[in-house]
Amino acid sequence: MFDAFIEGLFLVLQWKAFSLMMLGMALGFAVGLLPGIGGAATLALMLPFIFKMSPAEAFAFLLGMHAVAATTGDITSVLFGVPGEAISAATVVDGYPMAKRGEAGRALGAALMSSLLGAVIGAVALALAIPVVRPLVLTFGSPELFMLSVIGISCITSLSGLGARGQLKGFAMGLFGLLLSTIGQERQSGSLRFDMGMMYLWDGLDFVPVLVGIFAIPEIVDLAVRGTAIAGERKPENLKAGVIEGIKDTFRHFWLVFRCSAIGVFVGIMPGAGGGVAQWMAYAHAVQSAKDAKEREGFGKGDIRGVLGPGAANNSKEGGELIPTVAFGVPGSGAMAILLGGFLIMGIMPGPDMLTKHLAITFSMVWTLVIANIITVLLCLLVLDQLAKVTYIRGGLIIPFVLLLVFVGSYTANGQIADLIVTFIFGLLSYFMVLYGWPRPPFVLGFVLGKVIETYLFISVSRYGFAWLKHPIVMLLILVMILVIAYPFIQQRRRGPENPAHA
Amino acid sequence: MRKGRIVFSLILIAVGAYAAYSATAWKFKAALFPLAVSIPLIILVTVQLLLEIFSKGETSDGPTMDLEFAADVPADVARRRAIGAFLWVASFILMVYLVGFPLAVPIFIFSYLCFQGRVGLPLSVTLTAVAWLFFYGLFQRTLHLPFEDGLIQTWLGM
Repeated sequence: MFDAFIEGLFLVLQWKAFSLMMLGMALGFAVGLLPGIGGAATLALMLPFIFKMSPAEAFAFLLGMHAVAATTGDITSVLFGVPGEAISAATVVDGYPMAKRGEAGRALGAALMSSLLGAVIGAVALALAIPVVRPLVLTFGSPELFMLSVIGISCITSLSGLGARGQLKGFAMGLFGLLLSTIGQERQSGSLRFDMGMMYLWDGLDFVPVLVGIFAIPEIVDLAVRGTAIAGERKPENLKAGVIEGIKDTFRHFWLVFRCSAIGVFVGIMPGAGGGVAQWMAYAHAVQSAKDAKEREGFGKGDIRGVLGPGAANNSKEGGELIPTVAFGVPGSGAMAILLGGFLIMGIMPGPDMLTKHLAITFSMVWTLVIANIITVLLCLLVLDQLAKVTYIRGGLIIPFVLLLVFVGSYTANGQIADLIVTFIFGLLSYFMVLYGWPRPPFVLGFVLGKVIETYLFISVSRYGFAWLKHPIVMLLILVMILVIAYPFIQQRRRGPENPAHA
Repeated sequence: MRKGRIVFSLILIAVGAYAAYSATAWKFKAALFPLAVSIPLIILVTVQLLLEIFSKGETSDGPTMDLEFAADVPADVARRRAIGAFLWVASFILMVYLVGFPLAVPIFIFSYLCFQGRVGLPLSVTLTAVAWLFFYGLFQRTLHLPFEDGLIQTWLGM
């Protein structure tokens, strides 16, 4: 096994594989920065180019590209409040307020370093977990996966607002997101739902225009309202010091980063859940780590832990997603399904062979995840000074360029003007949500998970009736969900009525 | 603000009610999930609405874990600027619809920089050229993204 581990490293370090990994990383870097053009779409576009490569070269190229998109996606989330990738949306919540406070360097330093640690932890998990994870994945059927997704939403809704009314609004927004995810053709019966007679809505609302509208438009409008630079009228921070502070923050909160990475790995292993869930579960966990209500109030306004948690999780989940993909041929996400296509192009069948005959290739994937992330983070740290200076350019100069990225990104979803209109409508909706204090994170998570939850619910009910509720793991997960919902109240009760305004 | 919050809650209730009402006409398979989601949505938002109506203070809610808009700009100025920003966004979409992305991008960027950003003419022209080169080089030449023609080009048969 150790020989295969070392052989995997040498496979990646061969000049051709290494060059292809660098090329993939350059593409992933650009894709991560551009809102709307997702890592999965780029993987699909690049798939035809791997025909003439060896397996190790192909995976170095594809994984190198995929691994860094999540890392660089955090950069636009922090600097402009526009998620570069759908899986970087949670970083906006605290990263952008930090940039507005003049701490872009610190937020970026923390996002990059936590991404690196997350990626390494994910890769280590991939290396260690393959032999032991099989029973766990096989134990989880549709009822368990349904409950897991519901827990994901419960986590974020229970923490998105303080007090009972905050929770009420959080749950309402989660339900609203779930409701909007039902637009379009229903998969089992083929019925059209809420299509309003428009063919555009038959496939449902695409994630990209919705997410970009929800997160980017209110931030742009706020920037226009303030009439200043993103960082306000503060003097430019000492960027180097800020970046170093961000890196130090990562190690100051190492255990939080570690736990959030573990969440990312676990969610990554579960097929269908994906990065959309991992980042928000990690964010919710970061919020839960706050010692008291006052500390928790800082989340959403620029708490460094709100950057570290999602940053770590959305990178560690790459390793997690690879586990079922490599070991059983069950892709953990859309991107992994495309990668599975890469396996088949290479003539490799995922499954037990990957742990015996092709073990060196499996380890080369582990090494690619680690090396690609180290190089990306080092390169980013070198140019971070220049990147963070963008937050000191006045809004009037920045806004048209950000709008260009936002709308071209939205347009890439389906290539229709309707995508732009969807972005605008959701931007308007999001603006009023922020204005009237309805939290956006539960809405987004509900929307992202809606189709998955509906499918799991349908399969569970069709196969087991309501007996699925009696499955031991389901009952355990229901208990976890109740604890997740009750936790803020328990925490508040323990502290006593120190802050009655939020009760 | 309170009036706005009440109207927003009423809109959410109306959306939930419309969804539940529509779902009653569908097959069980298609209706199950929308009903399971819209009914609790209506209940929760109604509770929130009642709390909003009968609560005494303006700021009866706890803070949310989300963005907060700038508080240092007077409310009427903020409202005026926000409407202006949304109009600019809408005008970009309208331009794309009328003349297509490749023409809308330079027209919009130049207009915004000149009229809204109050940037001088030379810098506006330079930045517009940079933006257009970026758009053309990356999205059209490198990524070959297909951009639809605008309505005007279609009318003129260009």
